Amino acid sequence: MKTILEVKNLCKSYENIRVLSDVSFKVGEGEFIAIMGPSGSGKSTLLYNISGMDRPTSGEVVLCEKEISKLPDEIMSEVRLKQMGFIFQHAYLLKNLSIRDNIVLPGFEAGVLDREQVNQKADALMRKTGISNIANHDIKKVSGGQLQRAAICRALINQPDILFADEPTGALNSSTTKEVMDIINNVYTDGTTVIIVTHDAKVASRACKVIYLIDGNIHDALELGKYKADEATSATREKRLAQWLEKMGF
Amino acid sequence: MNRSMIKNDFKRNKTINLTLLLFMMFSAVLAVASVLMVVQTFTSISQLYETAQPPHFLQMHKGEINEEQIDKFMAKNEQVTYSQTIAMIDIFGENLTVVGEDDAYNLADLRLDIGLVKQNRDRDLLLNSNHEKLILNEGEIGIPIILKGMYDMEIGDKIILTANGVREEYIIKEFVLDAQMNSTMASSTRVLLSDVDFEKLYGKVGELEYLIEAYFNDKDQASSFQTIYENSGLPINGQAVTYTMIFLLSALTDIVTVFVLILASMLLIIVSFISIKFTIMAAMEEDVREIGTMKAIGLTYINIRGIYLNKYRVLAFIGVTLGYIIALLSSTAITEHISTTFGKIGLSPLAIISSGVVVCLVYLLIITYCKRVLNKIKNLTVVDALVSGKGFENKTGAVRDGLYKSKKLPVNGLIALREVFYHFKNWVIMFMVMLIVVLIILVPFNLLHTFEAPEFITYMGSSLEDILIEVETGENLETNYDKVTQLLSKDSSVNNYFENRTIRVAATDSAGGAMNINIDVGENAGNELQYLDGKAPQGENEIAVSFINADEMGIETGNAIELLTGEQVQQFLVSGVYQDVTSGGKTAKSKYNFPGVDVHKYSFSVNLKEDADMKNKADEWAGSLGAGVTVDPMEEFINQTLGGVAKQLKTIVFALVIIGACLAMLITVLFLKLRLAKDSSEIAVLKAIGFSVQDIYEQYMIKIGFTSLLGITAGIIATDLLGERIVNAGLMMSGLGVKEVSLVENPVIEYIIVPVLLIGLVMLVTRIVMRTIKKYNIISVINE
Repeated sequence: MKTILEVKNLCKSYENIRVLSDVSFKVGEGEFIAIMGPSGSGKSTLLYNISGMDRPTSGEVVLCEKEISKLPDEIMSEVRLKQMGFIFQHAYLLKNLSIRDNIVLPGFEAGVLDREQVNQKADALMRKTGISNIANHDIKKVSGGQLQRAAICRALINQPDILFADEPTGALNSSTTKEVMDIINNVYTDGTTVIIVTHDAKVASRACKVIYLIDGNIHDALELGKYKADEATSATREKRLAQWLEKMGF
Repeated sequence: MNRSMIKNDFKRNKTINLTLLLFMMFSAVLAVASVLMVVQTFTSISQLYETAQPPHFLQMHKGEINEEQIDKFMAKNEQVTYSQTIAMIDIFGENLTVVGEDDAYNLADLRLDIGLVKQNRDRDLLLNSNHEKLILNEGEIGIPIILKGMYDMEIGDKIILTANGVREEYIIKEFVLDAQMNSTMASSTRVLLSDVDFEKLYGKVGELEYLIEAYFNDKDQASSFQTIYENSGLPINGQAVTYTMIFLLSALTDIVTVFVLILASMLLIIVSFISIKFTIMAAMEEDVREIGTMKAIGLTYINIRGIYLNKYRVLAFIGVTLGYIIALLSSTAITEHISTTFGKIGLSPLAIISSGVVVCLVYLLIITYCKRVLNKIKNLTVVDALVSGKGFENKTGAVRDGLYKSKKLPVNGLIALREVFYHFKNWVIMFMVMLIVVLIILVPFNLLHTFEAPEFITYMGSSLEDILIEVETGENLETNYDKVTQLLSKDSSVNNYFENRTIRVAATDSAGGAMNINIDVGENAGNELQYLDGKAPQGENEIAVSFINADEMGIETGNAIELLTGEQVQQFLVSGVYQDVTSGGKTAKSKYNFPGVDVHKYSFSVNLKEDADMKNKADEWAGSLGAGVTVDPMEEFINQTLGGVAKQLKTIVFALVIIGACLAMLITVLFLKLRLAKDSSEIAVLKAIGFSVQDIYEQYMIKIGFTSLLGITAGIIATDLLGERIVNAGLMMSGLGVKEVSLVENPVIEYIIVPVLLIGLVMLVTRIVMRTIKKYNIISVINE
């Protein structure tokens, strides 16, 4: 499997407090990785540093064979725009734009497809995620789950090589969590690499591989293999993961 | 509890509180400065007039007089309480040479007649800057203060008088305050000599002119007295002036200054109040969680408002007190021109009291305004404040869909313009500030440009030609007239010229009393003037009158009036009412030649052929025509007449450009900082989804630039639409002979330089302030 992302000896400190120390791992193209760990273990910090939202104190992040951690702001923005998608715990949509406008905005900015194609793509994504009916709505007038789906559409509009998600279901109820995870799972099955930070073992059980962080270090990793949607397999995966997490002290 | 909360707030929100304090202080400084200007101007003028006691009626006369006959007439006239006849030796600018420390120059280019006088005994006194009667020793000279402004003379400079083979030297002892001839708009200016020096020159140099002066119990009697005097057969070989006109001419510059400053202050106070509102709203947005918590724990709206109001009371008290002190301390600078022109007087009790009252009003106004802004707390719900995060946002504003429909517009422009169009309320401050700044700069500028424009001659009772020749009243009137007509008919550079004769006839005022009116008679009379209604006289039975005369006579266009020429009564139809600032605004124009009526003045409006140089020609003619005839290019005539006003206005316009530019920059910085603080999470999101810092710079540059451009455009439109009304309202109040001036614009300044300057400065500070967005990051938003 071709490596899409390689993290080498990544360290991050905030005012002499080391949050990440010497983190190294590789992500293959089309893989689904979940990062877990107790609060304060550095999960989100790791995600922000590998996605170029933050700069590591030392170490390297190689995306598609290109070192990105030291890229100038301008180029890093373009990498984020065209190669990465990002989903946060809250949707963080722009409040003066409708759902559809929020989704097409990065597509228009990237300029890879013409605007008609971007609109068609947005329509397809909204159909897939079940929010076509609220396309022209004000973001203040839709539910949290619908907002999060819109955020996923926005993250996918430029067909990113890799999708980062930071606790994407953290603010959702269990039924909406399942719906959102099904969508993310579909993204992964369509061939997009996914890296997700989560507290939720059920969410993490969808991943092929789970990395466990403690005090800014990778403590262990668990290979779960490709996710299958049938109930029996899901239950087995969840059980296996739960046992492993228990061993980790989660 | 309140005290400690206020104390903590001052510590926590230093920048916002300091900004508020500055705006409150600024409002107070402006209000107090305006009041000081108004009160000091009128107090200084009235004090000068009280001490100097200029005449209520003045008749100038060149030539011989019979003083006994005049005294008899005055004594017989019951309304006259005091009278005097003063001799004045008229000389020309070229007779005087000034030798300063570094340079020497002649006053040949001075348009005003120079009258050498000695000090009077009791009334119509020439004063020093401390309002004291000026007594000179032999060899000393007192120069009028208006000449100091024109030529930069200094006390101690030597003045050499050369005329008729006489050569005398004097040292400037003082600059003289002359209540009567204190303006470049008057035709003469008086230079004071010691009694000994005056006697030495009397009869030996220049031409003698007499000032026949009368005083009444009520100065308003001057107009009716003027008619009686003029009909009495006493000397009238010169201009007659009343107290009101003397006052207006002397104070015009300062009245214009006061008017412009009040206008600018009012607009700046509006800006201050807008900024106060904006700053308070920003502070409340920042405190929205605290306000929500206070509401949640049961504090009432009045309790919460009280906490904020107490803070603003403290701020407003400190702000207006500081503003008051600053304005009082800088009162010397504010009233410098008044002190120079009308003498040094300390701050009058009236100025101190009225500025104190104004400062209290400003304080109350600020507090009332704060209360209104704080009313927003009433509608804030705990959910809005703590749960939904809506805060004080307007709940009704719906999101406009449609960005996706755009086919071509660049994304940054699209986002920025949609924001400005659909959420204009968020940007209205920039719009308003730019609008007001443009008004502050352009209205006074257009007024200045109008005063300086050659077209302004049409408000001065004359059509716009190349050169104006005036043959002054005097013994040589007819000789000089012949000289001028001969010269004009022979000179090949003359294209054409119009001759005007000024005559005086009797008429009836609105109350049925007798009054005299001066009529300019000639084939071009009344053409190309600024008519308020009607038109120039066409036939010989028509007459156009200035609007002050129309007012006094109670007539309007289309009315018939009767004029008495000698023994004959003649009827005229009023063809139009025009504006005229000359001769106190009391003139009339007719094409009828009034045979047999004495002429008081001749004037010639001359047009030269295209290749002729106006200035050289005017100099050449002035040289050959000699004394008693003034020759000026029209532009020069306006410049010299309105020079004082224009010069003062120029200083004000310059100051206003600086103030306006600084204000535009200051408000931009303040507004943008608060806007960015509010938009920080949206900026972070944009960065997170791949917009570069450069993109965001671009968006804000477009938002600020576009709003400013709209504000500037609105400002220019407002200047064009309201500028004239504002100026005309001021002119109307001033009592000058003009009430409807068409402002002459300078398109390059109005449509190019001012907009480009303001936009340039605003863009520059926007770019500098925008640097701070580099630190905005989605991580900090998530961690909030």
